[in-house]
Amino acid sequence: MRFVEIYILKINISVINTHGVQMPKHIVSGLKYLTAVELIRDGLSQKEVAKILEMDRSTVSHYLNGRNLSWNSIEVAEIITKFCPRDFLTLTYALLDNSEKTRIIVKTCSKKEFQANIEESCIGCGLCADTCLMNAIVLDDLKAHIDSNWCNGCLMCRDVCPTNSIKILEVENGC
Amino acid sequence: MVANTKEVKENDICVQRISPEEKRELNFKDDICIGCGICEKICPVEAIDLGDIGAIERNEIDESKISVDEEKCVLCGMCSSACPVDALELKLDDKSIKEMDEYPQLIKSAEIDDETCIYCKACETACPREAITIARILPDRSKLVTGEIEIDKDTCINCGVCEEMCPADAIEMEHHLPTSSDPTISSDINVNKDKCVYCLICKKSCPVDAIKAVCRSCSYGEYDLKPEDSEIEGSSFIDDDACVNCGWCEEICPVDAAKVEKSYAGELDVDLEKCNACGACIDICPCNVLSFPESTKPGEIVEKLKKDENFCIYCGACENVCPVEAIDVKRTDVKFTPTKSKSWKKQLESLKT
Repeated sequence: MRFVEIYILKINISVINTHGVQMPKHIVSGLKYLTAVELIRDGLSQKEVAKILEMDRSTVSHYLNGRNLSWNSIEVAEIITKFCPRDFLTLTYALLDNSEKTRIIVKTCSKKEFQANIEESCIGCGLCADTCLMNAIVLDDLKAHIDSNWCNGCLMCRDVCPTNSIKILEVENGC
Repeated sequence: MVANTKEVKENDICVQRISPEEKRELNFKDDICIGCGICEKICPVEAIDLGDIGAIERNEIDESKISVDEEKCVLCGMCSSACPVDALELKLDDKSIKEMDEYPQLIKSAEIDDETCIYCKACETACPREAITIARILPDRSKLVTGEIEIDKDTCINCGVCEEMCPADAIEMEHHLPTSSDPTISSDINVNKDKCVYCLICKKSCPVDAIKAVCRSCSYGEYDLKPEDSEIEGSSFIDDDACVNCGWCEEICPVDAAKVEKSYAGELDVDLEKCNACGACIDICPCNVLSFPESTKPGEIVEKLKKDENFCIYCGACENVCPVEAIDVKRTDVKFTPTKSKSWKKQLESLKT
């Protein structure tokens, strides 16, 4: 296992357009499909998946069987999940406009692991906690704590930190 | 993205950051601020600037004593914790961090023990911030004396000598102009027993010996006076907003009923060579530490500036306002409640010079 610096890329929006899928809700369907597949693979029942994604159970079933869903949407969704972490997160949040579902989808579909550390210079201003779309940060005793399980490596917290106290590295397994 | 908003109202400042998780609000009260600039020194993001406090204090300009850059402020609350007079207050979801144990608080207090206090009002008079109110109920004067007095109205000629002589204004006459039906100059004369102290001046000065009076305390001692009737009751009140914990009340109290604990300790040095006696420091000092000395005899040359360092809270306002850098305020200690945060501890310790 080794830790590497994370690089931020800009979204190449043309990738989405060349696939002919422009409707946000189609892309959302694709993302939900990918999430549903992952959750089922993790051993959840269709009922549980439906509850988490706030969908009908029948729709989950249709999705998993590839019905009511264009394959283009899934392709585009797959491309989005491979964006750099910040773009994946912010785009998903923009498409869904829902914090909870964004968290689930990003956590489930992100294959990357991150290790977050907060240094002693943290002053507990809470700006990172307010910024984190994954709600991975809490304050305790005037210091921020990041739950690495929920961190998706977007680094938005690091950018807003006034004391430069946040260090986040990507965990590369098997190296 | 979360962004700060700022509202300025009559020189008071409010900076807010509202996220779905939390509401942070920093309030600055200009009338409480003493212009010491400790907030400017402790701010980790340099969001606070101290204004031209000399001109503000002398009412030459009307603006806030500090300015807060809402673009830079991260609402961490360090200024709120370090402010020696609580002019700054950070609230998290409407709860002040001054009520939260995890945030370090300056250790400071000013208290008057009502059990010991004799309600002499010396502290009320001495307090440079007019923060102390002593409410006292004095005993009834009539219960502290005992005696008897009677005016023989048939003998009395209504001359008014007793009324004029009475030191307690206890003799009340009904003066009027004489008429043919009532050829007198007063229709009645009475002694107000609540006011009379049985000093017997009326009796001794009456030209016709119409007054019979006796002081019982003089002839028999004070056996029929109750000691509890002479007790003074009262209560003390310190306005925490105005109090700066300078220690004047503790120093002046004759019975040691006032106790003050200061947050900052240090040294106050005035370079009298440099001082040009402009008086800016005297105007800004919230504790009446600095004054122009008065000469005691004609022709005496006095020092330019006098300091009573006993009352100094080492806030540094005088140093900030001095135009010729003649004042040096050293802070050697900052007392605050324990905190687990190393960065907060370090930042508070950095106020030591």
